[in-house]
Amino acid sequence: MTLLRNSTSLRRLRRPALASLTVAGLVAIAACSGGGSADPKASQGSKELTVWVDSVRLPVAQAYVKEHPELKVNVVTYDGDGNGATTMQTKIQLWNRTGKGWPDVVFSQQANDPVWMAQKPFEFAAPLKGLIPDDVLSKWPATSTAQCSVGGTQYCVQDNLAQVVLWVNQKLMKQFGYQVPKTWQQWAELGQKVATEHPGYIIGNIGDSYGHWIYLWGNQCPLSQLQGDKLLINSTDAHCTRVATMLDPLIKNGSLPPLSVFTPDFAGKFGGAKDKVLMMPGPSWYAQAVFDQTLHIPPGRITAAPPLQWDTETPVTTGQVGGGPWIISRHSQNLTGAADFVTYATTVFNPTGKDARPGYPAYAPLADSWLKAMAANPYFAADPTPALKSAADQVWGGWNLVTYPDQPEWSNTVVTQLVAGKSLSSLLPPLGDSLAKAAQAAGYTVNRQ
Amino acid sequence: MIDQLKASAPGAVGAQATRKRGLRSLHGLAFTVPYLPFLITFGILPMVYALYLAVTDDTGGWVGVDNFTRTVRDYRFLPAFGHILLYTTMWLGSLVVLVVGLALLLHGRANRVTSVFRFLFYIPGALAGAASILVWLFMLDPAVSPGSFLLHLFDTDLFVESIAPGRLPFVFAMIAFWTGAGGWIVVMYGALNTIPDELEEAARIDGAGPVTVALRLKLPLIRKWIAYMTILAFATGTQLFVEPQLVNQASLGMVPDTWSSNQLAYQLAFRYGDFNGAAAISIDLIVIALIAAVLIVKRTGLFRTED
Repeated sequence: MTLLRNSTSLRRLRRPALASLTVAGLVAIAACSGGGSADPKASQGSKELTVWVDSVRLPVAQAYVKEHPELKVNVVTYDGDGNGATTMQTKIQLWNRTGKGWPDVVFSQQANDPVWMAQKPFEFAAPLKGLIPDDVLSKWPATSTAQCSVGGTQYCVQDNLAQVVLWVNQKLMKQFGYQVPKTWQQWAELGQKVATEHPGYIIGNIGDSYGHWIYLWGNQCPLSQLQGDKLLINSTDAHCTRVATMLDPLIKNGSLPPLSVFTPDFAGKFGGAKDKVLMMPGPSWYAQAVFDQTLHIPPGRITAAPPLQWDTETPVTTGQVGGGPWIISRHSQNLTGAADFVTYATTVFNPTGKDARPGYPAYAPLADSWLKAMAANPYFAADPTPALKSAADQVWGGWNLVTYPDQPEWSNTVVTQLVAGKSLSSLLPPLGDSLAKAAQAAGYTVNRQ
Repeated sequence: MIDQLKASAPGAVGAQATRKRGLRSLHGLAFTVPYLPFLITFGILPMVYALYLAVTDDTGGWVGVDNFTRTVRDYRFLPAFGHILLYTTMWLGSLVVLVVGLALLLHGRANRVTSVFRFLFYIPGALAGAASILVWLFMLDPAVSPGSFLLHLFDTDLFVESIAPGRLPFVFAMIAFWTGAGGWIVVMYGALNTIPDELEEAARIDGAGPVTVALRLKLPLIRKWIAYMTILAFATGTQLFVEPQLVNQASLGMVPDTWSSNQLAYQLAFRYGDFNGAAAISIDLIVIALIAAVLIVKRTGLFRTED
């Protein structure tokens, strides 16, 4: 009895103990004072390098270790993912408080991470000027460099570009006798047609935590636009409402389900032998990562078409999903080594075959050789590279990266409600409100129209 | 030894009683000493430090209640505490009613049946906290859940629907009940075992049926145990963190990362570097738990001793 009671009360204690982690952590760090403002003193002598990467970037780090046996490289993997995960923020806060422990290089899947890393209270990212030669830095597309810059200073280089294109199932399109759409209007029209002629087939999906980056970013909906020191968040702008009006009937007729492409459900309903994905607007890395490895769509079907145009509006703009950056720590004791690692990861590392990089390399010269290999990849029904290449610098620049994650706001206010049967048009105002609140909490002055 | 001491002081009754009490607390101290360093390091010091943080700003300057008013005005504060209120009500209600009910039922059965059921009830609790929540993530996804037919009954075909905002307090209460109730049923059963057989027998002779015995005799006698359980469960309930945090990550952000007040404190500290605001919310939670504990102790006479 006593034993049982003890173990029971121990179990009950475990949760509050976990929950008060914050407080417990504070005590541990209370002993080390004055960590906040470490100055970037760089000694070039260090032979050690600590690198934090996600699992996808692990092969890069391993290849670098292999090529540099003289260096002591500590590779740490972490989830590195978006959706507002605070792993890296928590770590940096704790390193800043203790005044030690920072890694030299960090990879993040979140394109907006460098923005908060460059600013207070984190102040983690080091300016790249002088660390990586200008003539190397200049070979990233201008849109990519702009995303890595905060207040005119460049703090990161993107590992890959994540421009949204229209992925097309060529075999099905031929079978159904459909033309690959060039505009959103033609695409939506096909959606109506599919719903009546071939119900069950889909022309995209809108249930992912980044759906707004595909449909709203590309169509110039101002949900994250810096105007001087203000941030414009206007979810009822015509650029947003016209998209919602177009998508709502498609969500309703089932050709644009509010499901996430990464759920077992989705693969079961539309993937594999069922082969029900007719089209799908999505980022460049969908290529094999989603169609082949997640949905198991057989080879010889999928290819990429250029991003959809809004009616006759020019220039054509598109969205972006991801485009993870590399960041160097301003606290690094081995800045040269860190810069060398980042240069290797972004401008040299480019294996072929099944080890090929999943995403479109951001560094232009590397992209060329990567595209060549992709053009020859037998998985695709036709060469997807012209579409990918043309979309590379079409990412709309009016969507600025900010310090707070916008995915949770989209997921909570829109996706959960779409699933419950509400229309996207009716959800745009609450989306704007929730984004504005998140922005204000992060310290932005928000302009609503 | 106590008897010897007692015998050696036959004179003044008052002095004897005092010494007895002193000795008793000495004995008590011997038992609590090993725990004290941990209590101080991981319980009291963090609390004091949190209090210090809560009334200062990031430079260490005194700001009074500013952190408290600032966090209360945060747009996520009221929803988070609302969620916690709803969740704690459901979890405490189900815990008290079902745990005591099941323990009373068990206690009325034959011994062999009881031990089997006790074991069955205890099994889920044997899973470590976070792991049991992972089990539930699968249970709630109709695509992979062995109980998907039950989910379909509730018109749920997708994981996102299982964790729809309106259902969350219920879902979390269910997870907490499943992982925590088994242990408490065993504890309550133990408490029921301390009731002398003679009492029960006497009641029966007086014509009390099993229901009357359970409600009129057993229930009042284990009142203090129920109070004890309520205090601990209230504290863990208001400090809900692991469940919503894991569901937030597993659902790729469909559940807000500031669903519970503890999560809000965590986000304030680490996303915004606002350790002072986070400390203020922690203090809010301590105060709420303390008030609840004091009320329960007063109402049930938890610490009242018979002599």
